[in-house]
Amino acid sequence: MHEIIDQLDEKRRRAALGGGQKRIDSQHAKGKLTARERIDLLLDDGSFEEWDMFKEHRCVDFGMDQSHIPGDGVVIGYGTINGRMVFVYSQDFTVFGGALSETHAEKICKVMDHAMKVGAPVIGLNDSGGARIQEGVAALGGYADVFQRNVMASGVIPQISLIMGPCAGGAVYSPAITDFIFMVKDTSYMFVTGPEVVKTVTHEDVTAEELGGALTHTTKSGVADLAFDHDVQALMMLRRFFDFLPLNNREKPPVKPTKDPADRLDHSLDTLVPDNPNKPYDIKELIQKMVDDTEFFELQPNYAKNIVIGFARMEGQTVGIVANQPMVLAGCLDIKSAIKAGRFVRFCDAFNIPIITLVDVPGFMPGTSQEYSGIIKHGAKLLYAYAECTVPKVTLITRKAYGGAYDVMASKHLRGDVNFAWPSAEIAVMGPKGAVEIIFRDEKGDPVKVAEREAEYKAKFANPFVAGARGFIDDVIMPNETRKRVCRSLAMLRGKTIQNPWRKHGNIPL
Amino acid sequence: MFKKILIANRGEIACRVIKTAKKMGIATVAVYSEADRDARHVELADEAVCIGPAPSKESYLVMDKIIDACKATGAEAVHPGYGFLSENTDFARRLEEAGIVFIGPKHQSIAAMGDKIASKKLANAAKVNCIPGHNEAIATPDEAVKIARGIGYPVMIKASAGGGGKGLRVAYNDKEAHEGFASCKTEALNAFGDDRVFIEKFVEEPRHIEIQVLGDAQGNTVYLHERECSIQRRHQKVIEEAPSPFLDPATRKAMGEQAVALAKAVQYQSAGTVEFVVGKDKSFYFLEMNTRLQVEHPVTELITGIDLVEWMIRVAAGDTLSFTQDDLKINGWAMECRINAEDPFRGFLPSTGRLVKYLPPPEVKGVRVDTGVYEGGEISMFYDSMIAKLIVHAPTRGEAILRMREALNEFVIRGVSSNIAFQATLMQNPRFVNGNFNTGLIAEEYPKGFDATDVPHDDPMILVVVAAAIHGRFLHKNALITGQMPGHEYHPSDQYVVLFNGERYPVTVKSEQGGWIVTASEKTYAIRSTWQPGDLLARGTLNGQEMCMQVERVGLIYRLFHWGVQADLQVMSARAADLLALMLVKAPPDLSKFLLSPMPGLLTQVAVSAGQEVKAGEVLAKIEAMKMENILKAERDCIVEKVLVQAGESLAVDQVILAFK
Repeated sequence: MHEIIDQLDEKRRRAALGGGQKRIDSQHAKGKLTARERIDLLLDDGSFEEWDMFKEHRCVDFGMDQSHIPGDGVVIGYGTINGRMVFVYSQDFTVFGGALSETHAEKICKVMDHAMKVGAPVIGLNDSGGARIQEGVAALGGYADVFQRNVMASGVIPQISLIMGPCAGGAVYSPAITDFIFMVKDTSYMFVTGPEVVKTVTHEDVTAEELGGALTHTTKSGVADLAFDHDVQALMMLRRFFDFLPLNNREKPPVKPTKDPADRLDHSLDTLVPDNPNKPYDIKELIQKMVDDTEFFELQPNYAKNIVIGFARMEGQTVGIVANQPMVLAGCLDIKSAIKAGRFVRFCDAFNIPIITLVDVPGFMPGTSQEYSGIIKHGAKLLYAYAECTVPKVTLITRKAYGGAYDVMASKHLRGDVNFAWPSAEIAVMGPKGAVEIIFRDEKGDPVKVAEREAEYKAKFANPFVAGARGFIDDVIMPNETRKRVCRSLAMLRGKTIQNPWRKHGNIPL
Repeated sequence: MFKKILIANRGEIACRVIKTAKKMGIATVAVYSEADRDARHVELADEAVCIGPAPSKESYLVMDKIIDACKATGAEAVHPGYGFLSENTDFARRLEEAGIVFIGPKHQSIAAMGDKIASKKLANAAKVNCIPGHNEAIATPDEAVKIARGIGYPVMIKASAGGGGKGLRVAYNDKEAHEGFASCKTEALNAFGDDRVFIEKFVEEPRHIEIQVLGDAQGNTVYLHERECSIQRRHQKVIEEAPSPFLDPATRKAMGEQAVALAKAVQYQSAGTVEFVVGKDKSFYFLEMNTRLQVEHPVTELITGIDLVEWMIRVAAGDTLSFTQDDLKINGWAMECRINAEDPFRGFLPSTGRLVKYLPPPEVKGVRVDTGVYEGGEISMFYDSMIAKLIVHAPTRGEAILRMREALNEFVIRGVSSNIAFQATLMQNPRFVNGNFNTGLIAEEYPKGFDATDVPHDDPMILVVVAAAIHGRFLHKNALITGQMPGHEYHPSDQYVVLFNGERYPVTVKSEQGGWIVTASEKTYAIRSTWQPGDLLARGTLNGQEMCMQVERVGLIYRLFHWGVQADLQVMSARAADLLALMLVKAPPDLSKFLLSPMPGLLTQVAVSAGQEVKAGEVLAKIEAMKMENILKAERDCIVEKVLVQAGESLAVDQVILAFK
């Protein structure tokens, strides 16, 4: 018995060292933490329970039978973040470069299966050189096993990927399916094919960082949701992020009590929307002043900046916020913003998170580049997401709500539960100028008449009353009372239940 | 007494005048430009009249519109505030002709004093000490050089109609006199529509001390002691105080009496200010007389107990002064900081935009805030950059400084930059604190401009323990989240490490009713505060001493503002701090290859084109902001790669204008 315990201790000691001190030092020299250090920071102190510490690969080719490291390059288990359960796998770059073997994949599958069984989120800390080439197809099969579980878990438990090192080739598709991808600047990258292959095939000269670094994916491709400066920041901010998510799709999102009064008025919002309809303003000011404790956790802040998405709390309860941003492209909808917001709306819907939509949208972005790239289908994604969504939806039109974009942005017609407008709201098919050019085409040459007609159109539609008269707007509220009214609406909607018709799944325009 | 008066001004001074008028039971009429539709003075006044578009030339400076507004509203008198039409003879005369009372001196007095050349002659005649100089308008640069030589360098070149630092140049040699004359003349023409320029001796290491006078129509004239206005940046007053730490009673009396003599010489009937330059030996020379209410008048009001605006109105209505010189004592010490929308860390560039947060300190314990803005209001590019005047009154100068420092801690401004950090730093500058300064203080103490390293903090441990306590509150809030594993809930540790300025401070934070006990470096700090996440202000006590800090959480950083310092601290477990130490320090991105817009504004000119070689010092672009033209010059020789913004476009701060190769 004592002998066994001694052996156990020795095994644990070896496993804890991963690929050995030398490799740990080299990992540190790159400014990267080890798999276990990362888990330490991510989870509550002492809450982590590790499984499969002694699991080893079964490969015998290319000398691999001589090389066994307990754990096989990934640390798995569960623990808590602020007391709430979470399953974690953390790839260990010091062990075979974090390469994924059949057994490595089995370990990942194990936590995912457990997470599905008990209904708790999975966080993957990715730091892997790719498939373990010595194993060949066995490793590939391992990836697919993970993908399949990612897909089955989608919409059932939240899945978060934190890319903390290389993630290339097929490996990228597991994070791609998860709900959120965070990356670490300078030390992580994701791409399907690396710079060498790119150079051979397309003759483009590009570094790994340019091709798939954190900045690339958070500004150009939109693949990742946030980029962090280093491992410590990434892990600690991930703890903060985790607090917004429910554990699974059967639960309500968590509540974090606040002392911020639900009926707090903010008179500075009365002057947020400028008199000049062409002058931009920062919608994030409204978000910050509306939500609990001014805390807004924005996602994809540097991608498709014409729409703002992220989580906040109202009376302690998590809400998802989608807002047109007049500061960028006048807040219009384009392909990128529709995809960005559409996926976010579907996440909120899947996990019972109420959605607050703040509307100031002049329409869809015109142009050949948008049309040729399929704005029809991509724009429809956001429309589809809002229409299908059954969680509480509170919409506030702050200024422009023009044309089809008005319909899309959680309008009454797409089952918006409570639709508010500020007095500055203008709900119309289009702006006065465009409208007059069409309706009064024959008066085009007469600037005096055109101006008159514009004024006429403006007087008729540049206000919330026409929409209000039809019941498309439930009430016109003063900006200063926004928090109070939205909080009340959400409280009223807490018991909302509606069901979409049974189907295998809808056919969202992909 | 008048039943209704009109205030021909905007901003804080309009609000200030309205306040007194209300106290006196007089109805008020505000005027406003289109840019000021939602301004505070409009809201405070009983009535308001729009007088035109945003540029002051088309609104606040148009006499007809103001006179029409008086007639339309039945206002019997006009208070002009300062700036705009306050020292405009024509305006005073035209009001008089229209049967409307100008709340200020008679137009003859303005005319006599408003012209700096004429005023010197008058001062000489009234036996007021005058500075050597040339009292005739100068025609050509060559003549300017000749005169300057005659007086002896250094000389000051001044616009006749100038004021407030505009239209003013100092020349130390012929070349500078030549150039200074030309630029002064242009600036004067643009700013005042009057390009007459004159030259006088420039007193080095001078102090700027001014005497407040007040006269009535019955010929009574008194002085309300002095204001020390030597703390200036580029001839713009920054801090004013009363009394002056430099004057002795005899000098004060001599200056006061000369000021009264001058006022009497022009039958001065209102509040006015006689400016003196005072040398090291307490010799003083008359500079000019401002025939209006001064920006810094509140410090005089606080030490004398006289409401200057009230007396301007009463005197204009024909009342006799109810007090004599002997009644005017100096009670305590008053000090004023001008809170401007400018960024001290970026060469004091003006900042415009929306006041996302605006929370002045409460007006208790001798604190007074004269302001014309509100949270959600706009600092417009059309007018000056003053947001507010923060004024304190205390028994002694030392206490006044402390009160000012505390009030600056509490002054919240977000959305536009402010000079609060700079003001707070001045408040602890030893030369300022000792009263040992002259108008050169700022230039001498901060010769290369002002940066964050110029801001000292006398006890950084305060920052450390407050950050630790705040972190503790966040963790305790986290522990309240629902959905925790039953029986395995989160219990935050009370031991952290605070990282600040490269140092590591282990702390223990015990939460208790109404605050925390923080132990750090074997010392115990009892903090009592109701601070909650989301609050910008952490008010409370630290070991029984009152304390107020501004707190922001930016990612993992707790950003505290205290005594002018902006401190970034991180708080985490010892384990996390150990691991953080392994992270690589990343070099900030190289921005030297770009010309960034230092401020929001309008790009009026791009002086270079792609591919062009430029030498260091060459003009690259011009930006207009806050009525000021700002010239961006090449810092070194370079080649322009790309022009990213075209003239006529408006710029955001840090927007890239040019890229260099």
